[in-house]
Amino acid sequence: MQSLSIISVNIWQVLISFANLALLTWIVKKFLFKPVKKVLDTRRETIDSAYARAGEAEAEAEEYRRNYAAAMAAVNQTTDQMIAEAARNAERRSAEIESAARDRAREIRQQAEADALLEKKKAEADIRREIADVSTQLTEKLLEREIKPEDHRELIDSFLQEL
Amino acid sequence: MTEFKGEKGARSSPASRGDAPMTRDSRFRLVDGLLIALMAAPLLCCLALKVLFTPESEGVDISGAMIYLTVPGFPLQDLVITESQINSWAIMLSILGLCLYLTHGLTEKGGTKRQLIAEWIVEKCEGLVSANMGERFAGYEYLIAAIMALSALSSLSCLIGLFAPTGDVNVTAGWAILVFALVTYTKLQGGFLNYLKGFTEPIPVFTPMNFISEFSLPVSMAFRHYGNVMSGAVISALIGAALRGLSKTLLGWIPVIGQIPLLQIGLPAILSIYFDVFSGLMQAFIFAMLTMLNVSGSFPQEAWEKRQERKAIRKQRAALAKA
Repeated sequence: MQSLSIISVNIWQVLISFANLALLTWIVKKFLFKPVKKVLDTRRETIDSAYARAGEAEAEAEEYRRNYAAAMAAVNQTTDQMIAEAARNAERRSAEIESAARDRAREIRQQAEADALLEKKKAEADIRREIADVSTQLTEKLLEREIKPEDHRELIDSFLQEL
Repeated sequence: MTEFKGEKGARSSPASRGDAPMTRDSRFRLVDGLLIALMAAPLLCCLALKVLFTPESEGVDISGAMIYLTVPGFPLQDLVITESQINSWAIMLSILGLCLYLTHGLTEKGGTKRQLIAEWIVEKCEGLVSANMGERFAGYEYLIAAIMALSALSSLSCLIGLFAPTGDVNVTAGWAILVFALVTYTKLQGGFLNYLKGFTEPIPVFTPMNFISEFSLPVSMAFRHYGNVMSGAVISALIGAALRGLSKTLLGWIPVIGQIPLLQIGLPAILSIYFDVFSGLMQAFIFAMLTMLNVSGSFPQEAWEKRQERKAIRKQRAALAKA
């Protein structure tokens, strides 16, 4: 079989090689780059849309959070108001109750004092009457018998017991 | 290895769920097998062709590509179909098979090995072209990918015993002329008069030198690539022959073992790693780099921007004149 010499230029071979490279460029473009780029593009789109969706969801969540925080703040304020009002009411009521109780106590005390005074007067009258009775009885007994020292003692004891 | 990879890729993509997916799975695998055959068959055919046609020879025979077919009747020179053309076509078919194989069963989610490889190739080429040429030459990534694939696989084809097409100056000359055509095309985008004026810069005396340098570009690119690959092949052949001779002289007296060129074991393999693998890949990269630099350098970014500005101004003026 014949061979080319180690360096020989053949214009048709050069042309074929030129066409080969051009053809291969087309092949690589059509069969490797186009499909791969298509896949990469769709993937990028998917990722972008996923990111966009995530961003939207985040914004939405942020809005929810803000609304919730505002609602919570409003609720807190209302609660505080209510508590303050309740406290004020309670204070007022307690003051009322207290003053009422104090009035009542004063009344009771006055009543008690009046009662006590009455009782005291009654008791004084009683004592006075009793003393009168006792002295009468004593006098009766003294007059009834002679008095010995023992009798004297006895008499006094019995008197005291009766008292 | 490719066989195994193909099987794995096919198995991992559609899970076996009932009857219909199974048939789809088997069809997927069948296509894979065919594509792998498309990758391997052309190279094997070339190998068979070479084995059938190579004459038995003793001693060193350093010559160019074998001529398979001569078609007379063409103007200037006869059309000869040689090993380098046939091997180039085989390699192109293999690359086509590889492209189809890598892009077979692409999914948006990805994850299969071959898709990772395909995406890696595409992204690397894009990155390389945009880094070296800028965004306005983005369309060159196909050419760069094609050059790298064709050049690297052509040089590596000698590993399976084929004649490396890059060892034929006609092949690399064809590529270099394509590059030269692209360079000239890019220069002409700046206007034909600007193109002619470019030859007289920096001073008109330089015109002949500029002409020489202009036309030395394809020549130097063609010969650089061809020379590297061919010289590697020549050195390998010479050292192989020398070792065979040495073996015969030193060990030829031993009855049976003497017939085996024992000294040929070892050293040629190491040389092959350098000359065939390293140098081949290096030259593919260099050729691609030179293509990128020459094309993008032929119409620099600043000049291009200036031209765009001037165009915009002219357009505005025209619009004003109309108004």
